[in-house]
Amino acid sequence: MAIEPGDIRRIVTPAAAPVTRETMRADIARMLHEDPEEIGNGDSLLDLGLDSMRAMNLVLKWSEGGLALDFAEFAENPTLDGWWALVEARQRAGG
Amino acid sequence: MIKQQAHPLTEAQSGLWYAQRLDPANPLFNTGQSIELTGPLDRAAFEAALAQAVAEADALSLRMIDAAGEPMQAIDPAQRPVLEVIDLSREIDPLAAARAEIARDMATPIDPTRDKLAAERLFVLGPTRHVWQQRIHHLAIDGYGMILLTQRVAELYNARRRGIAPGALLPGLAVAFAEDAAYRGSEKREKDGAYWRALFADAPDVASLAPGNPSSGPAFHRRAVEIEAEVFARVKAVAERTAIPWPDVVTALAAAYVGRHAGTPEVIVGVPFMARLGSAAARVPSMLMNVLPLRVDVTEGGDLDAYLGAVAKSLTRARRHGRYRSEQLRRDLGRVGGLRRLHGPLINLLPFDETPRFEGLTCRLEVLSTGPVEDITFTFRLHGTDGLRLEVDANPDLYSIESVAAHAARLAHFIAAASAAEGLADIPTATPEEMRRHLFDLNATDHAVPDTTLAALIEAQMAATPQAPALRFAGEDMDYATLERRSRALAERLAISGDIVAVALPRSLELVVALVAVLRAGLAYLPLDLVQPDARLSRILASARPRLVLAQAEDAHRFKGEVQVLAPADWPEAPAGNPLPGPAPEDAAYVIYTSGSTGEPKGVVIEHRAIVNRLEWMRTHYGFSAADRILQKTPATFDVSVWEFFLPLISGACLVVAPPEAHREPLALARIIRDEAITTAHFVPSMLAAFLTEPTAKGLSLARVFCSGEELPADLRDRFRRTLSAELHNLYGPTEAAVDVSYWPAGADDRSRPVPIGFPVWNTRLYVLDAQGRPQPPDVPGHLFLGGVQLARGYLGRDDLTSERFRPDPFRPDERIYATGDLALWRPDGAVVFLGRSDHQVKIRGLRIELGEIEAAAMDSGLVRQVVILAREDRGTTRLVAYVVVEAGADPSTLKVAMAARLPDYMVPAAIIALDVLPVNANGKLDRAALPAPDFASAGQRLPATPTERTLAGLFAAELQLGAPVAAEDDFFALGGDSLSAVALLLRVRAAFGHDPGLGALFTQPTVEGFARLLEAQAPAQDLGLAPLITLVEGAPDLPPLFVIHPAGGISWCYGRLARALTPRRTVYGLQAPALAPGVPPPESLEALAAHYVEHIRALYPRGPYHLLGWSVGGILAQAMAVRLAEAGAAVGVLAMLDSYPCDVWRGEPDPGEDGALRALLAIAGHDPDRLPALALNRASVRAFLRASDSPLGQLPDAALDGVVRVVAGNNRLVRQHFHQRYGGSILHFRAALDHVGRDLSPAQWKPYAAAVEVIEVPSLHAHLTGPEAVQTIAPVLAKALAVTEASEETRCATAG
Repeated sequence: MAIEPGDIRRIVTPAAAPVTRETMRADIARMLHEDPEEIGNGDSLLDLGLDSMRAMNLVLKWSEGGLALDFAEFAENPTLDGWWALVEARQRAGG
Repeated sequence: MIKQQAHPLTEAQSGLWYAQRLDPANPLFNTGQSIELTGPLDRAAFEAALAQAVAEADALSLRMIDAAGEPMQAIDPAQRPVLEVIDLSREIDPLAAARAEIARDMATPIDPTRDKLAAERLFVLGPTRHVWQQRIHHLAIDGYGMILLTQRVAELYNARRRGIAPGALLPGLAVAFAEDAAYRGSEKREKDGAYWRALFADAPDVASLAPGNPSSGPAFHRRAVEIEAEVFARVKAVAERTAIPWPDVVTALAAAYVGRHAGTPEVIVGVPFMARLGSAAARVPSMLMNVLPLRVDVTEGGDLDAYLGAVAKSLTRARRHGRYRSEQLRRDLGRVGGLRRLHGPLINLLPFDETPRFEGLTCRLEVLSTGPVEDITFTFRLHGTDGLRLEVDANPDLYSIESVAAHAARLAHFIAAASAAEGLADIPTATPEEMRRHLFDLNATDHAVPDTTLAALIEAQMAATPQAPALRFAGEDMDYATLERRSRALAERLAISGDIVAVALPRSLELVVALVAVLRAGLAYLPLDLVQPDARLSRILASARPRLVLAQAEDAHRFKGEVQVLAPADWPEAPAGNPLPGPAPEDAAYVIYTSGSTGEPKGVVIEHRAIVNRLEWMRTHYGFSAADRILQKTPATFDVSVWEFFLPLISGACLVVAPPEAHREPLALARIIRDEAITTAHFVPSMLAAFLTEPTAKGLSLARVFCSGEELPADLRDRFRRTLSAELHNLYGPTEAAVDVSYWPAGADDRSRPVPIGFPVWNTRLYVLDAQGRPQPPDVPGHLFLGGVQLARGYLGRDDLTSERFRPDPFRPDERIYATGDLALWRPDGAVVFLGRSDHQVKIRGLRIELGEIEAAAMDSGLVRQVVILAREDRGTTRLVAYVVVEAGADPSTLKVAMAARLPDYMVPAAIIALDVLPVNANGKLDRAALPAPDFASAGQRLPATPTERTLAGLFAAELQLGAPVAAEDDFFALGGDSLSAVALLLRVRAAFGHDPGLGALFTQPTVEGFARLLEAQAPAQDLGLAPLITLVEGAPDLPPLFVIHPAGGISWCYGRLARALTPRRTVYGLQAPALAPGVPPPESLEALAAHYVEHIRALYPRGPYHLLGWSVGGILAQAMAVRLAEAGAAVGVLAMLDSYPCDVWRGEPDPGEDGALRALLAIAGHDPDRLPALALNRASVRAFLRASDSPLGQLPDAALDGVVRVVAGNNRLVRQHFHQRYGGSILHFRAALDHVGRDLSPAQWKPYAAAVEVIEVPSLHAHLTGPEAVQTIAPVLAKALAVTEASEETRCATAG
């Protein structure tokens, strides 16, 4: 089977530590200049002060390990629970 | 079905809808992109994927309905785009063909109420090469929506290829409609609106990178650069360090970049906002995006992280309220209209790779358009994983393609520097290339100049050409040998006189001898102007402390023993032969005092080396030679005079010294330039403007004219070219840098607007620096600094002021720069453009004025507690106005006298306005806008009495555009006149009286009565009777005068007999053609001539009624004047014609030409040309014939006879081009009954142009109508008509009263 160009890109991308709910919580907290415990699982991240550029930055950061995350899906339901569900589903699907 | 239901537009769509309706031909409302697909495309899979995606994306099927009152929209499947496949594989260059077709398509506007909003096109370039173009109207989609749609097509394609199920469907547009409706009525929207309104309550005006009025154009310029990977990595490290997303870091840096160009402490940029986070409509391809206005404080000083943190915080807050439409905010704030914008440049961050992934294919995405570009947009696009591209899109109305490329490179560099900076202050604005070019390449002016002195150069010239003429003044010449002898003799006498010698002589040969002698004695000369008040002279003398002053004996009292006076009569004539010490290059050559802001004049000390550089540059650069004749007309106290005096003397040329005061009199200047064959002259631009209006200046030819001292307006340059034949050069420089430091040829091919001050002269540097001392990039205003050999030593005795203005050169060790206080910019071609003063200093007619000095003079009077001086621009002239709060009990009317005692005349305010308090704004600062405009009202009581006074009063009012009548005692200058409007007034005086007594006379006699006396006293000795207005009979003062208008020849003498035959005797004025005088151009039209006459007679006799009579062409003019008078509401009495016929009759006949004009001249003189067959019809023989005959015309000089011929020819042309308007009164027509046999001439032909025509048959020929027989018939009828009209006029007035 020929190597697809898209695959080449994924191969050269360095692997990152796997994303977990807690790393996500920590990343969100850092973006909001808050402590991780301030980020409740079901809190609206918008109410906590998250904006689209920060959200997009987080999604991009979490994709760095090769996970195919789609910001559009994250935008629909911006809570830690909602986002973890999206990440977990992609991780199970193998990227 | 819900999909066919009509919906109102969403808020997001509404703004676009109205913009599109305002500019329906603009194709940029179509957004678009193209993707090059390389590799084996599965065409069937692609077509199926696309069909499904466009079916899911409802917005692409929208149909817009332009319903009355409110636009609506409906989803209509018939509007859905269908993939169009275009095979270009047979083209020679298929890719180029595809690009051309895409460009054509993107440049085609669509009508959203009729056309499909979207198009999907696939270009087949070859088996493994395709280009997919999407074009979708902005009403249907935004940039993020386009990504969603494109990604969906890729997802469907990949799923189909792999045979797996694709992800979730795109949500329908109904979700977006519902969200929009919910937000519109929500409390959130209220809060968002309140947030924005509060934030923008005190927002400043928007500044941008280019001046002009931004509005969407149909195209944009684009230039892109790649941000270096290393820079991008550093930016991300900054983001990491500050916990601010890197896109916000880049936004903040781009805003700082905008601030550098706007030059304001705060900028407002626009930040596109996707408005999708947390929205159910997040995944709907549709138009949701908003542009958030971001206020950014770009003040430098703090550290970079603090700045970035502040901007990031503003961005977060803005996004939290980001659904509130900026169009709505703009309406809320009343910021509507091009210049009242909400934000300036857009900064658009796209921190994700938008390129879709089609398996098995490589894709290259190009975004073609994201909507109209009003101003300039900086887009940062992530591509691949780590590539960042900067695209600069700009409105071509405001930016050239070169400036767009420059911004792309400069901003990329700015970000690179910022990524390593600790504070904004560390970041240069210009790129290293721009800095090198501006600081060094453009200033590479090194040129070898002999290290010598001005005295040595002049001595060398005097020795080289002793017999050549050196000076000329009032018809008297002085050769170089005489100049050598006399200046040496005086220099020997001066050599023991300290280091500064004052020179206070009027323009004369002695003045030049004095200056040369002072230089040869090794001393510096200090020019003094005795027009200045004693107080100012004393201050200058106290500061400079000259031991000796060279002045006329009669002026000695001005120095009151403060300093010894040596008058020309006491100068030694012959040299004793003592050796002269002579100066060294570093010795002072002259000291010129300029206005100082502290109230104390400042003495600028210029050394020989500096002025030698300036003069040698000028001599070489413009190729001056012994053949030149240079006019010296600038007062010696103004440093322009320095080159006027000495350039000829180092070039072997002749220095022609204008008489004292001539520099302000255009007529005198025109005469001297012509008579003395001047090759080179200097004008301050405002004086040049006055000079160009002088009729006798037209057509003068010189080698070159130099302008300096103030801004040269481009219109004036253009007018110069139409008026004079000469090169025009614009020079710039302060007294502090040896006259001029830059030059610009404003020649025939110069189209610059504004006219630059140009490039540095030899060994000179120009820097345009920002407030922090950094060099500016092209087109960005900054402070102008000067460096190089021409800088002054400093201010005499004022080391404090010297070190304030003369500073170390930051770019060249051991050099100095001078802070000019002027604002300037570098054009892209390197020429410097002057933009005005950075402080309150103003220039009036080239003379630098520190308002502080005037304010100090007002305060020193002890009469005022507070004072503000403003230079107000009023009807095109700048006037100084003093606003004062007077001391209790003080009389403000004495202030002007007190100030005039301390200040030169050009610094004395034209008006003094006393206020109770000076108005201040909310910040406690002086509110300049609230200061009232001065009212230059009449102060006099006595009505003008004599005809001269009446005319003159009318001319004052016309020149100063006064609404109110002018009294006999009114002073022209107190009414708001200045020396420039005085020049214009004198032109009017000359047109009305045939001569003017000159500007000096107006200064000494500025009142109506005084100047009228002068005018009458100085009437030309040899009155030729050709004045524009002559009095034929002086009659009873209570009877309205009769105005008679000249026939074709322009002379009104012919009416003398008729005038004298009228009883009762009344005043009869004859109007004569102004063009009889040489140099007065012929009128543009008969209409214009009539208007001029109306202005003249109304000024002379404002009361009316106006009785008019004209013979032949004079009758035509009288009718046109009657029309104008009636239009203006003035009463017309009798309108009488002596055998005149309307222009329609003459229009068809051939122009009689010069022959006809000469025949008419003979007829005017009383001869029948047909009876003189032997007389050759040329000017010389007709003149000779008239001389030999007894006609008074024969007494006229040749020039006047030529004037008559010109006027006749001109009148023939005017008559043929004139079209009558209807006059509402009646015509009294005296017809020459014995004439016109066989010609179709009848008074009835006037009927269309008057209410009635009364015809009196006079048994006479046309040519004899003013002869004795005809006058016997005409005079009684006319006198009766005049009396009847006046009686009815009185009755009417009485009834009305």
